[in-house]
Amino acid sequence: MGINWKELANNAKSRSDIYGLMSTVFREEPSGDLIRDMRSPHLSEIFADLGVELGERFYTDLESKVMEELAIEYTRLFIGPGPHISAHESIFSEMDGDMSGLWGVKTVEVKKFIETTGLDYGKDFTGLPDHISVELEFMQKLTEWEADMWHQQYRKRAEYCLTVQGKFLDQHLFCWVDQFCDAVVHQAEIPFYRAMAELTKQYMAFERQSVATDTAA
Amino acid sequence: MKKLNRRNFLKLAAGGSSALAAGLGFSQGALAGSIKLQEGGRDFSPTTKKALQAIPTACWQCVTRDAMMGYVEDGRLVKLEGHPDSIRTLGKLCAKGQAGVNHVYFPDRILYPMLRVGKRGEHKWKRVSWDEALDLMASKLKPLLDAGTPELFMYQYGRHKGSQSSIMHDFMDAFGSHTIGTHTSVCEGPKWVGQESLWGGMYDNWDYDHTDFVVNFGSNQFETHTNHIPTSQRLIRAMVDRNVPLYTFDVRLSNTAAKSTEWIPINVGMDGLVMLSMVNVIMNENLFRKDHLKYMRVSPDYHASDDEKIAAIKEHVAKFTPEFAEKESGVPADKIKQIARGYAKAKSACLIGYRGTVMHYHGADQERAAMLLSAITNNLDRKGGRVMGVGAGWKTPHSPKAKIQKGLDIVNGFPGEAAFPTHQVSQQNLPMIKDGQNGRPKVYWSSCNNQAFINGNNKEAEAVLKDESLIPFYVNSNIVYDESSQYADLILPDVTYLERWDTEDMVSPTGIAEFYIRQPLIKPLGESRDQGEIFAGLAKRLGIELAYTTKEEYVRQACEMTPGVREAGGFEYMKKHGVWHDKNAKPNFGFYEAKVDVSGDGVILDEKTGVYWNYKKAGVSEAEARSKGYLGVEGAKDAYVAQNIEGTPRKAYPPNTSFVKSGLLDFYSDNFAAKGFPPFPTYTPIPEHQKMGKDDLHLTTYKVAVHTHSRTAHCKWLSEIKHDNPAWINSKTAADRGIKDGDRIKVASDIGEITTTAHVTEGIIPGIIAISHHFGRQHSGIYGSGKSSPTPGGATADPDAKNMWWDKHGIHPNSIIPNSSDPISGGQRWMDTVVRVAKA
Repeated sequence: MGINWKELANNAKSRSDIYGLMSTVFREEPSGDLIRDMRSPHLSEIFADLGVELGERFYTDLESKVMEELAIEYTRLFIGPGPHISAHESIFSEMDGDMSGLWGVKTVEVKKFIETTGLDYGKDFTGLPDHISVELEFMQKLTEWEADMWHQQYRKRAEYCLTVQGKFLDQHLFCWVDQFCDAVVHQAEIPFYRAMAELTKQYMAFERQSVATDTAA
Repeated sequence: MKKLNRRNFLKLAAGGSSALAAGLGFSQGALAGSIKLQEGGRDFSPTTKKALQAIPTACWQCVTRDAMMGYVEDGRLVKLEGHPDSIRTLGKLCAKGQAGVNHVYFPDRILYPMLRVGKRGEHKWKRVSWDEALDLMASKLKPLLDAGTPELFMYQYGRHKGSQSSIMHDFMDAFGSHTIGTHTSVCEGPKWVGQESLWGGMYDNWDYDHTDFVVNFGSNQFETHTNHIPTSQRLIRAMVDRNVPLYTFDVRLSNTAAKSTEWIPINVGMDGLVMLSMVNVIMNENLFRKDHLKYMRVSPDYHASDDEKIAAIKEHVAKFTPEFAEKESGVPADKIKQIARGYAKAKSACLIGYRGTVMHYHGADQERAAMLLSAITNNLDRKGGRVMGVGAGWKTPHSPKAKIQKGLDIVNGFPGEAAFPTHQVSQQNLPMIKDGQNGRPKVYWSSCNNQAFINGNNKEAEAVLKDESLIPFYVNSNIVYDESSQYADLILPDVTYLERWDTEDMVSPTGIAEFYIRQPLIKPLGESRDQGEIFAGLAKRLGIELAYTTKEEYVRQACEMTPGVREAGGFEYMKKHGVWHDKNAKPNFGFYEAKVDVSGDGVILDEKTGVYWNYKKAGVSEAEARSKGYLGVEGAKDAYVAQNIEGTPRKAYPPNTSFVKSGLLDFYSDNFAAKGFPPFPTYTPIPEHQKMGKDDLHLTTYKVAVHTHSRTAHCKWLSEIKHDNPAWINSKTAADRGIKDGDRIKVASDIGEITTTAHVTEGIIPGIIAISHHFGRQHSGIYGSGKSSPTPGGATADPDAKNMWWDKHGIHPNSIIPNSSDPISGGQRWMDTVVRVAKA
């Protein structure tokens, strides 16, 4: 049977879009546009169907109020001051001595991995290289490139991209994303980030299965 | 929340897409730039971590000539790897290819023109300038031009392909000499001759990407094939991914045999017989396919019906029953039947054969049997089968040809030696010079060719090169002091292939041509110089006009002249990318079925053969054309247009070589019949084998994965892996002679004797001895022979030389193998020698 290039391209693009959404959610405080769209009938229906519960007030409160509350919750959860979830791989990786912590060995590994693929960190990006949103954005870009390769019928390049994705997931994202999501679920005080963390964890489980299948094929 | 599955994954994706499409992503991405993923093509210094300079180029270790990437750091070549964008190699490069780095920097490399000052073979040399060297050559060549005897200048080459070959032919045409010797007859000439008699062209490849069944006769596909990396990885993938079976017939458990579904040991020289017995099974069990019959000629009748053809094939192979084949070949009849049935019933199947099949008496006919087996199962030029290879068709600049064009008749063997030497009889070039009956060159220039090592009876070749009365002026272009260059009058320091320009064109396994180039990775070391530049320097001195002044310019012109490459960006594109192929091109499966317009002026149908041909193009009148017919007019084959296939003019198989034939596959060959050879593929016992005494053994030779025949011994990485060649002998055969593993043994033929070590093994059939043919070097630098060359080469010391832990350098079997040619093709019969073996 011949290769269904279009289906493979669409599949990769779908993955890219989901990674993009998750990266957006964890990168910074939600914008008004994001909240508006997530409250739209289209997305709210999808979330309802999936059992993603963002809380009644997310849909009923004034947009400005939701935005303000989520900004406070984002800061409390991920920035501090005080106890918070440092959303960086190096914090979640168990290593001896000075190897973990901010800008640890894992941070350097992630940075090198990303740069080896031709990408750079934007000059205006002030975060750390192994932030959860960066790793998700990296996957977004890889899957987007993969989709492009399928679209152009470059099978070898697309398959190689899948191999790279598998490596990054195995060596990095899969190693800590569950712990991170569990921490968010545990510490979140309003439903939005709890739901997004659950969704992310579910999606990574789905990825674990599908990428393993793709790269084995 | 619900567990994600495929269905709600797609829903979620739609949501994600919607959010992102609405521009709701974060204000600024963390990552800038774009993904530049590629499998290979980049590398980094292990010390500075900086990206190395990556330059696309092409390998030249063996004829496969893989496109590859070279990595350079601070002007030094540090690494070679496969080109990630090559459709042939898919980014792979073999061990030999990766060790190409060793060519550039080995300590005994010849880096300056060297003039002999002692007697030939005395190893006394004086360094001279290029001007002195070229002036000397011109002083020898100019008188030949002035006397109208350009043919007394002979050029002898080994590996010249792509532009290295075309630029040489261009220069020789400009000079006027056709005395050009090659090496193909010691390689695989009989294979090509067998194919040309049928296909009208040559070079088979196999569509492993789609095949369902593979049968291999005598080809070490996974180690040393002439299209090794492109084909072997595809065959392995077929076996692993699609469970395609591979059956290997071989006298020796090569690594290919070991990786096969089954190794079927077979007696020496019996491949063709087993193939014919497979034809017997397939025909008698009605497992054949009729599809290709209309393109086949199997009897004198050009117009036979399918039924008549089927009957004729059955009659031809009637005596080659599996039971008869078992008696001669040692292959059980049931095994032959099993493989024949599997081969015929498979949706598609490939039949491989190589030197083990063809380097024999009537080797060309064994190749014809392989083609027959492919054709009757409709596995010829079909998807998943044996297909005519497709290479890049470069256009190249041409210089004005000399008015006088002549050649000495010393390249096609002694009179009567070979009926169809379309790939010459190069093993006899030096013996014919010694004989002198057909003339002798006054200037003999060899390049990338070690005559005193690669031929049978190589000691005789050495003696001819040493004799100034036979070869008055001998020039040798080389990078290493070897068995031949030691006798030269002038040694020219050649560049390595990693320091020069070329267009390249090796056959693609996908049926889609790949155009690729070789470009210098570094500046040539010392005063080494490309042949193209030397031609230009000589031409200037001889008053010859050439269409180029440098090799780079020649390649540039080729890139700008070649359709497709030119539109892609020509020379600059190729410099940057190294490879190009037409993305809209399709594999050439079924090319022979193409309908042809025969309405052109001068095109007539030859009723006897069914050939449409253009008598005007052939230069005869219509009356003469019709009275003499297609076969009766000299040069008519060059005016071939189409073949009448059941009333439709089709391309079929045009006679693109010197064989005069119709567009049909000539399984019944008038060419063969006219020269007294069996017109239909048959089994012809090898004369020497019929006279063997009970203590005699067969001698066969073979290649290992990490060496070429004669050009890699100085590569230290490769010689560290393989530097010795004990003789393989079966445990029973050894026991009969009181030989134990590791014993020193004497191997004697009618022309000489060598002493080597026994490798007693079950991995070879009884009754033979097998010795690889790379080792036993007199010279070839410290790593190849243990001896440094007596030339002021490059580095006087390589730190690694001190780490050389091996002191064995093997033995060369060619000194006991006579030069003996297949009477059909002129191919050297490497596998037919009879020897006596005893404990030393």
